[in-house]
Amino acid sequence: MSAELIRADALRVHFATGKGGETVKAVDGVSFGVRSGETFGVIGESGSGKSTLGRALVMLLKPTSGTLLLHGENPHALGSSAFRTLRRDYQVVFQDPNAALNPRMTIGDSVREPLDILADTPPAARRQRVGEVLERVGLGAEYAQRYPHELSGGQKQRVNIARVLMLRPKLIVCDEVVAALDVSIQADMLNLFADLQREFGLTYVFITHDLGVVSHVSDRIAVMYLGRFVELADAQALADAPLHPYTQALLSSEPVPLPSSMRTTEKQVLSGEIPSPINPPSGCRFRTRCPKAVDECAAREPAWREALPGHWVACHFAMPSEAAAPSPHHA
Amino acid sequence: MTGAHAPGRPLLSVHKLCIHFTGAQGEVQATRDISFDLAPGERVGIVGESGCGKTVTGLSILGLLPARSSRVTGRIEFEGRDLTLLSPREMRAVRGAKIGMIFQEPMSALDPVFTVGEQIAETLRTHRGMSRRQARTRAIEALAAVGIPLPDRRVDEYPHQLSGGMRQRAMIAIALACEPALLVADEPTTALDVTIQAQIIRLLVDLSRQSGTALLFITHDLGVVAETCDRLLTMYAGEIVEDAGVDEALLRPRHPYTSGLLRSIPRLSPRKTVLPSVPGRVPALIAMPAGCRFEPRCSHAQPPCREPQVLAVAPPAAGDPVEPGGGDQPQRSDQPQRSDQPQRSARCVRQGELHLPGALA
Repeated sequence: MSAELIRADALRVHFATGKGGETVKAVDGVSFGVRSGETFGVIGESGSGKSTLGRALVMLLKPTSGTLLLHGENPHALGSSAFRTLRRDYQVVFQDPNAALNPRMTIGDSVREPLDILADTPPAARRQRVGEVLERVGLGAEYAQRYPHELSGGQKQRVNIARVLMLRPKLIVCDEVVAALDVSIQADMLNLFADLQREFGLTYVFITHDLGVVSHVSDRIAVMYLGRFVELADAQALADAPLHPYTQALLSSEPVPLPSSMRTTEKQVLSGEIPSPINPPSGCRFRTRCPKAVDECAAREPAWREALPGHWVACHFAMPSEAAAPSPHHA
Repeated sequence: MTGAHAPGRPLLSVHKLCIHFTGAQGEVQATRDISFDLAPGERVGIVGESGCGKTVTGLSILGLLPARSSRVTGRIEFEGRDLTLLSPREMRAVRGAKIGMIFQEPMSALDPVFTVGEQIAETLRTHRGMSRRQARTRAIEALAAVGIPLPDRRVDEYPHQLSGGMRQRAMIAIALACEPALLVADEPTTALDVTIQAQIIRLLVDLSRQSGTALLFITHDLGVVAETCDRLLTMYAGEIVEDAGVDEALLRPRHPYTSGLLRSIPRLSPRKTVLPSVPGRVPALIAMPAGCRFEPRCSHAQPPCREPQVLAVAPPAAGDPVEPGGGDQPQRSDQPQRSDQPQRSARCVRQGELHLPGALA
């Protein structure tokens, strides 16, 4: 196994709400590792805690409890200069390409800013690097003179990618990076991410609500629900033989662009909505929407167990044989 | 009721619809010669990238384009009347009563200072002349019909008290309160999670089947169209470039743009492979190519493509899938009678010779 860039153990990120001293348990005990060079997908609905997890992984949020090791080190135990050095290796690209760019700065200035802040390369070299990186993301050095409003959404997202590449990071958290883009632009962007990964040996944590996207890019996928992982497996295994009822429902809910004769007619539509992360249900957090829930699910929290080699699941009843039917989602 | 509708006639017939906007650079044309029919109870999806004219086409049918800065030519015949000729007052009697609408973001379409019940009742009192009490009873029924739990309690709640999925259900309840013949839905599930989207899709299809409401479903998501609609209209740069049954279009698209949109969906390519994409961008409204508007981005372009293209009936191409189930048209049991055009058409001079990959490559 290759080295782990991230190791999380019982990681929790909680937020205090303004009223009544309540706590939003956004991330509430997740354990996993991210291997160097892989694409680790995280899928979940809004409110599942996936973005909070992503922010914790790049040190934008401090864990409430549990351990987070980046390259074997606890970032929050480091001194400020070591912390900043480590942070260069762990970068993030967000969903909204507009919000991440300052409208008053040229593209070149925005892309150069990380190196300006570090100030460890001469200014001429920084400018040259801006040109190289803009070329690499498919924009061309001439874009350095332009302003964000002159660019399309897809081009702006390329600028955001260029900016994180300036620091030559080891790992990039991609938080819904293609969600705001049209499907053909989205395809270009996913191809670019794949190229950059090959070229620079990047590791990605790919956070998205889009099953098609996460299945396409990921080596392994974690399914998140209400602050916890419910399943974690090799991407192919997860698509072909999901063990957790929530994963099965997610796969079944995805609209598939296939003619009617090739779609499964039996769609498993979940009732209800994701409960509040302030007071998650007792026992299994998914039980309020689970078609298979029984009394035990409310009484006892399911363990996070390795049901098959490398295939983790948190469900009392998930059995490898039960879900061995091939997925209908393949063209 | 003027709903007495000649059988076999389309419910909605859009003919050579052109939408122009005036702005700082003078007038620009947002759509050109949009023509299509919608049969009673039919569910039609309009797809295309942002800026293709999908939303303005929907708004023009509802008479909701800004009067000062827009100009509409062509006809929008609904139940035999041309909506473009109606006065604002006459249009208000159609909108909400005979044509319902739902939008992407329910929070911006619902009024935050009125309860959900009041907003449904407003529609019923305006269009149906119901009393307050009747309208309230009907509002509770409408909320129950869209699957909102505890409707007699929810009826007195404000939009901010509902979740995103529940708000979208409330919007559907308002839109369908007067049992319209047509529902225009503009990206109604785009802001929702996938499990909630599945609920709303099922709800819309069930309601459309039960009440015979026709659906014009505007979306960028071909998967949603596949699961919702009978027919697919592909729009590109302000024009309809393909009009076909959903299954036919997915299996064997006739326009390179439909094919390109489909093939760029990650789900349809093997994992970790390079995704086919459509290079370039939709041209700006002020810089439309003189010939085929897709020609600059099309990998099949040839000299004849530099001439203007017409939306022409497609000749049956070699390699077209054989219709299942024998000689008759493949019809799903719930499928309404097609109006007078079972054929499919595409705006591509090369449609007869090209063999374009669909959902199955």
